[in-house]
Amino acid sequence: MSKNIWVNHIRKPKLNEPIAIVGSPGLRSIGKLTIDYLVKKLQAKLIAELYSTHFPLIFHTKPSYASHPRLLGDAGVSIRESEIAFPRIQFHSSTFPDLLITNGYHANFNGQYAVAEKVLDLFEEYNVKKMIVLAGHGRTGNEICCAATNLQLIQEMKEEYGLEVEYQGSFYGFSGLVFGLAKLRRIESICLFGRTEPNSGEAEYPDENAVNVILKYLSRILKINL
Amino acid sequence: MDIKITLKKKVKLKDPYLICGLPGIGHVGKVTIDYLIRELKAILFGEVYSHFFPSYVIINKDGIVELMKNELYFWKDKKFKHDLILFTGNTQAVSPEGQFIIAEEVLNTLLTFGVKKLYSIAAYVSDKPVEIPRVYGAATDSILIEEMKVHGVLPMGNGSIGGTNGLIFGLAKTKDLHGICLLGETRGYQTPSGHTVVDVKAARAVLNVLTQMLGIPVDMAPIESQVDQTSEFITRLAEAESLMLRQIQSTTSENFSRYIS
Repeated sequence: MSKNIWVNHIRKPKLNEPIAIVGSPGLRSIGKLTIDYLVKKLQAKLIAELYSTHFPLIFHTKPSYASHPRLLGDAGVSIRESEIAFPRIQFHSSTFPDLLITNGYHANFNGQYAVAEKVLDLFEEYNVKKMIVLAGHGRTGNEICCAATNLQLIQEMKEEYGLEVEYQGSFYGFSGLVFGLAKLRRIESICLFGRTEPNSGEAEYPDENAVNVILKYLSRILKINL
Repeated sequence: MDIKITLKKKVKLKDPYLICGLPGIGHVGKVTIDYLIRELKAILFGEVYSHFFPSYVIINKDGIVELMKNELYFWKDKKFKHDLILFTGNTQAVSPEGQFIIAEEVLNTLLTFGVKKLYSIAAYVSDKPVEIPRVYGAATDSILIEEMKVHGVLPMGNGSIGGTNGLIFGLAKTKDLHGICLLGETRGYQTPSGHTVVDVKAARAVLNVLTQMLGIPVDMAPIESQVDQTSEFITRLAEAESLMLRQIQSTTSENFSRYIS
């Protein structure tokens, strides 16, 4: 499967154990919007793009992150200001602190795990030891909660930032798989879930408020002004 | 990696039997194996990860992320002449290709431990509510079918066993293993959101037969209380189903008479 996934390296910056920040289109687009904001705010530089034959342009599953072995979607390109663009995952870097900001994309059923593995391969090339995943959840509770790859991190989030574990359940799509597979590779990872109201008509309809809440906590965790 | 089987411990097992039960209808297989693991204090020695599993992870009650996976446990008993390997997990592959590959690879791996016989646990879906679940069975040869009958198992005759629980049993035969599939009778209810309703009663019926067949000491008291907890919910579902059927029948007959007139 992995031959259907390839990475175009645009530049190779020198980064010292960068923290990977990961988000993707998902519930109320919280992860993707936060990543878009980070890239812009930090003036992060595009360093690589990951392409795959498993990236649909048109998803046959709704929402896009609910994959199905018989609903693989349709391929295609998008045109923006006369430029042709393939569906892709983009990696940006910024410094102070060193970050590898990852704007994810959902592969279809045939490529979902392989794409997440390839992303983690790239993280390992850059010697990533820590990762922060950004996403949303649609249950009741505080405006934000967390999850992690180990109990020590949970304790740290609680003591230092007042973040609680509230969300229990499934975490679908690109970001969930990268988070789960990172645990197998012993990349210490946390996930920040911004609480949102699910929109039954359009699951990915943007929720700017949840994005702002995540940015507030991310700013404290990374010790940068966002 | 289409499939990755990680063996955490080196274990030597004596003529082990393989007992399989992945999540499926009523979670009969999974509940049965989970119960055996808990009561026998079986030890985890292997994990199975695969690209064929569903594309999500689980955040558990402690906030820790868990990949979808299958697990292998072993149990040793000095009094028993066959050790056990227990195979279960929090999911199964969602495509036929994935189910074949996982069943095949897991079997191939476990053959290296000297497995000669397997028991696969699955569900037998009844078309009406089940008060006292029966246990149906299929086997790789007629001697095993006779053995099952002694323990009150009803030969399945005709039917199909879907998913990995069925495939692993079928593949056992192609590898010249002795295989028995025990199917707990269940109505196979689902919640309106499509989630499987766990049928502990069906699993208890299978456990009663399986522990007899294996001759292993398993305390059944804890599952009795679980049966009490889940039975009430299933009874309510059965009542709701019965009410719905009555309403459909009355509507149909009403329309029908109107049509005649």
